[in-house]
Amino acid sequence: MKGYRKYFGKKLFWFGITFIAALLLNFTLPRLMPGDPVSMIVSKQAQGLTEASAVKAIYDNYAKEFGTSKPMIEQFFTYVGNLFKGDMGTSFSQYPRKVADIIGSAVGWTLGLQLPAIIMGWLLGNILGALAAYVRKGFDKVLMPMTLFFSSVPAFGMAVTLLVIFSITLKVTPVAGGYGYDMIPNFSWNFINSVLQHYQLPFWSIVIISIGGQAIGMRSMSIYELNADYVKYARFLGIKDRKIVGYVFRNAMLPQVTGLALSLGTMVGGALVAEIIFSYPGLGTTMYQGIKMMDYPLISGTTLIITVMVLVATFVLDIVYGFIDPRVKAAQFE
Amino acid sequence: MKNTIRQVFHSPKFVVGFCIFMAILLTMLVYPFINPGDPLKMIGLGTFAEPGTYVSMYDSVGAPFSTFKIPDADVKRLDKLLTQEDRAKMREWLELAQVDVSELDVGDMDSLLAMWKQHYDPEIRIPGMIKAVRNYYIRLNNSILSASVSDTLKVTDTDEATGETIEKTKISKTDYVNVDDVANVISLPLGTDNFGRDTLKQLVAACGVSISIGLIAGAVATALGLLLGLLAGYLGGWVDDFIMFFTNIFTVIPSFVLLILINYSINQDQRGAGTVALVIGLTSWVWTTRSVRSQVISLRNRDHVNLSRLSGHSLPRIILTDILPYIASYVMMAFILQVSSGILAEAQLSLLGLGPKTTEVPTLGLMMNWAMLYSAHLNGSWWAYFPVILVIALISFSLNLMNTGLDQVFNPTLRE
Amino acid sequence: MQKTRKLLSMLLAIALLCSLFIVPASAETVELPRNETLYFAGIQWGSVNGWNPLSDDMNNGMAITQNAGGSRSIMFETLYMYNMLDGSLTPLLADGDYVWNDARTEITVKIKPAAKWSDGTAITAEDVAYTFATSVKIGNARGNSYKPFIETVEAVDDSTVLIKAKLNDEGAAVNPLQMITYLEEAYVFQKAWVEAVEARSGDDPAAVKRDLGEDVVWSGPYTKYYADDQKVVFVRDDAYWGQDASMWGTLPVPKYIVHTIYADNPAGETALKAGEVDVCQQFIANIQDLWLKDGLPISTYMDEAPWGICVNMPTAYYNLDKPVLQNAALRKAIALAVDYDAIIQNAMTGQSPSFADVPRSLMNPTAGEQATFDHEAVKDLQWAGDDAASAIAMLDAAGIVDTDGDGWRDIDGEKISLNACCPNGWTDWMAAMEIVAAAGEKIGIEITTEFPEWSVYQTVVTAATQDQYDIFMMWTDSAAPTQPWGRVRQLMSSEFVGVEGNWSGNWGHFSNARADEIIAAIPSETDEAALKALYTEAVQIYLTEVPSFSLMYRPNMFHAVNESVWTNFPDASDGRNIPPAICVDGYGIAALYELELVNP
Repeated sequence: MKGYRKYFGKKLFWFGITFIAALLLNFTLPRLMPGDPVSMIVSKQAQGLTEASAVKAIYDNYAKEFGTSKPMIEQFFTYVGNLFKGDMGTSFSQYPRKVADIIGSAVGWTLGLQLPAIIMGWLLGNILGALAAYVRKGFDKVLMPMTLFFSSVPAFGMAVTLLVIFSITLKVTPVAGGYGYDMIPNFSWNFINSVLQHYQLPFWSIVIISIGGQAIGMRSMSIYELNADYVKYARFLGIKDRKIVGYVFRNAMLPQVTGLALSLGTMVGGALVAEIIFSYPGLGTTMYQGIKMMDYPLISGTTLIITVMVLVATFVLDIVYGFIDPRVKAAQFE
Repeated sequence: MKNTIRQVFHSPKFVVGFCIFMAILLTMLVYPFINPGDPLKMIGLGTFAEPGTYVSMYDSVGAPFSTFKIPDADVKRLDKLLTQEDRAKMREWLELAQVDVSELDVGDMDSLLAMWKQHYDPEIRIPGMIKAVRNYYIRLNNSILSASVSDTLKVTDTDEATGETIEKTKISKTDYVNVDDVANVISLPLGTDNFGRDTLKQLVAACGVSISIGLIAGAVATALGLLLGLLAGYLGGWVDDFIMFFTNIFTVIPSFVLLILINYSINQDQRGAGTVALVIGLTSWVWTTRSVRSQVISLRNRDHVNLSRLSGHSLPRIILTDILPYIASYVMMAFILQVSSGILAEAQLSLLGLGPKTTEVPTLGLMMNWAMLYSAHLNGSWWAYFPVILVIALISFSLNLMNTGLDQVFNPTLRE
Repeated sequence: MQKTRKLLSMLLAIALLCSLFIVPASAETVELPRNETLYFAGIQWGSVNGWNPLSDDMNNGMAITQNAGGSRSIMFETLYMYNMLDGSLTPLLADGDYVWNDARTEITVKIKPAAKWSDGTAITAEDVAYTFATSVKIGNARGNSYKPFIETVEAVDDSTVLIKAKLNDEGAAVNPLQMITYLEEAYVFQKAWVEAVEARSGDDPAAVKRDLGEDVVWSGPYTKYYADDQKVVFVRDDAYWGQDASMWGTLPVPKYIVHTIYADNPAGETALKAGEVDVCQQFIANIQDLWLKDGLPISTYMDEAPWGICVNMPTAYYNLDKPVLQNAALRKAIALAVDYDAIIQNAMTGQSPSFADVPRSLMNPTAGEQATFDHEAVKDLQWAGDDAASAIAMLDAAGIVDTDGDGWRDIDGEKISLNACCPNGWTDWMAAMEIVAAAGEKIGIEITTEFPEWSVYQTVVTAATQDQYDIFMMWTDSAAPTQPWGRVRQLMSSEFVGVEGNWSGNWGHFSNARADEIIAAIPSETDEAALKALYTEAVQIYLTEVPSFSLMYRPNMFHAVNESVWTNFPDASDGRNIPPAICVDGYGIAALYELELVNP
């Protein structure tokens, strides 16, 4: 187990370093944006004011509140300090709401949408890829190019197309939001049903585009394994085909776990844009609002949470990989 | 080399992908000659003109005409004026207004119209009828009244000097103009966009810009990834550690997030297509670096490399002759993938409002962004966004196909 | 293999658990019956922050919006309700008309005896006085903007309010028009509640404004019911005082008022089309397509283009800090060449009268404002646009010609090169600026467009001086009791020149002594004919000097209704004189009492 602890420790160390780097980037980049965000809030109230001194008073008030007049480095330490207290600052566009509060209400929707969708896409993709490798012939020739084409459609394109077909033309699914416009959240079947209905389009648009990439990877790996020497040897020994196939796909699956970790960032990015198309109340929509309103505490908050989510997911996958990959397992006993 | 190329072109997947890509490139090159002019020129007033051919009404009045007697011309004219649904609605109104319609046959236009003209009055308020429906009847009535009753239509003009009305010409129901005789006919196969710009022309131009963004981004990312990978892999030691430190960090931070943050921090004035391409390239070198490094490490201790090193060959020479050729196929494939993801990244950024600044050059992402801002997808203006999605999908599909084809060529086990 | 399976099932279980979290465990009720609920769109963007009307940061559009064009009064109420159709004030909390004293320095308002707070206590003059005093004390928007015009608001007795004007050196009211606006713009709050907030904030003005006001006391017909990131719900207060015969005599028809929070305009528009929204305050491009093409039961206030009542004029300002733009001939020539019809077709998709229909002036297209000046006297100064020939002639006559043969005109041997700016993403303005730039090309003046981000744009535009933007867009005031005087001042008064953080007007820094005199004279002028002469002269100066030029007319509120569930919405031809103020603003709220169900 010692070897495993070492593996775990090393991974953890790297994620720590990455987190700090992400923190730095998240803090610095949005603040490089020219223009004065404080005057944005002031502008909302100052319209129609005729006295310049009144405007100035409002301005100073907010500049103090946000600490924008202090030096960058001081702002950074305040930011990190607050972060550990779970405080991500105050939103400019939704002042005086806390960024943590805004994100808190969005994060559940995004997790609930993306996690199942990405896992579903991964599973379906692997099954398809394995089938394509095993069956080949027509299945491979027709289905693979098709999945490849669908995975080439950008996430927002798929979202718009599904929206136009199912919501606007056929009117079988709701157009926007996370639950029915005539509902107030509660624990009734009606409400859960409404949530599920609103869930369909965003969910499937993510699934459809993520199938292709996974399927192609899985197909290649499976073919590679099917032609490997151990398979020939096993066949020679007269081991049952089903059992061999089991081994083959298990081996082919392994790199796919890493494959998922690799594509996670891209998938999440695409899915966030898809959220916007459906006005899904998740992080993508929140981030879009932040961008539109030049609300940098909100932007750095959302990007940080997304980064952390991807970090954690990648970390979990790495750990999972460590458990199921016999090579890593073997290393533990060295 | 020749052999490899021949092999590559024997892969059906590669060939299909290559053909699609070339077809797009060819259209991009040829179309501007067929339809020259500035793709961003606003030719139409108003938004989203439907696809089709537009004939100048002004010019067709003066154009030479021929006379045709088409038997069902009148029926068609009426059908265009009043659809079956309209007629059913007219009957419904008459019923609601308590007119006896038991005798009325909706198929019989003349009696329907007569009865309508006799009974309809926009002032009558039918209880329970909503405003939208009332407005519909008022519009219907206006179009019935304005439909020409006589067989000829007079075109008149006012003399500027005297203020007199001069009759210019008479148009009869049986006059037809040959489209070729009309001075101004515009063909808009994909209509116009929200600014009244020719969508097809813009799409072709945008396609070119987006592909160049992809190429620049891909070239930057591949070059950077290759260089860092080679250095890290071949030199090892602290150089390797140093490069891998950054690579590890940027592997896990989603490049999408980085793109958003960087683009957000660049002021819109400076965010040209080139800048965006560069930023995309600079955020996507990580994977190339990692794989190049691991391949170089496995190559580093091969016999031919050792031999070369013992012969005292310089570092660049060893890399160029003994290492690069072995990873060239991989680098090529990585490049193709990065071009495709570069195009996609631009589109996604633009959709968030973080793409290149507008009005300078069209890009596929900007077209999509403007179509969405004017809710083209909701008001049925499919021509403003669907071709864009299709083109992005086709470009990236063709590149992916080529990539899969190459994969099969270079990894013989994958061949069919 | 088995381990993998176990793991996957574990992951799936986690996923399902996560999806369960998204269902918050609160809230008593349930579904809102469709035929008791009126749905809105286009007012509330982003989630509600709180319910404290003393603050300016509550982002609570449906409940808290004080606006000179008619304050939103479903939860909080004003003394009077403004009707932009005829400029009239209808008493709400007030009883009968307001009365000026002879010197026009004091207004007396009576409070309706029936008016009650939600906790059942009577609304008194003391509440009105305390609201004003507190607003000034904590320096919120209403306090700051009325402080220069109103000295005090006093309670003479329980039901009599006395509003005293700030006096100028001559002993006259600084601005009587602003005092009338106060009557219909400012909400009245309960003194007891305001005191409670002050007590728990330790009398710190910032803390008072930060208070979320969950315990607020209201006087209007609706109150908060539920709010989250996706919607805000109001429920009718069946004990509302206004059902008294001295006010409405009944309760408003819908039991619930709901505003779903949409991510952007397209989302709100989709919902309107789907019948999920009844009243929509959003710009919808080509709105007539909704009924002409899609056959939806949607209509607007007017049955013909421009479909709504336009009350303000998005305007392009010339930056007069720039030496080259101090040339009036150049300013007018560019304005002459611009194709306004293209702007109206493109940016407003025809939802604005053209400048041929309503010739340009300082007034909006409403009949009331148009009647304030002499049309004949300014006829020769007006222009409808797209007139490159006259523009070229004017430039040639002024000696602004191309001296070096590069195709662009020069002043003092230097090529005129201007930029035309508006905030990035403001699509209708951006389209307009593109068309202005195109006009420059037609007359040999180089104009390029620039679209900075709003955060940058507003800092530059409101600065005391600036040399970054040459032609740039800003808005003008909408209808209000102070109009069209307010707009004359906004477009021409030199009092805003050199003011840092200028959000009030004259962003191009124009100054003209005669214009300033007129602006000073109008508010206290009571003679109709003299007033008309002053307004006419102001228009003459504006059209001769061209410190800015309006690009289109625009409604203050867009007003599209879907009659799938509710009907009998106000419209221009029904003779009820209810303004298109989305059924909740100013006198527009009268519509809520007359709604009917399509299928009762």
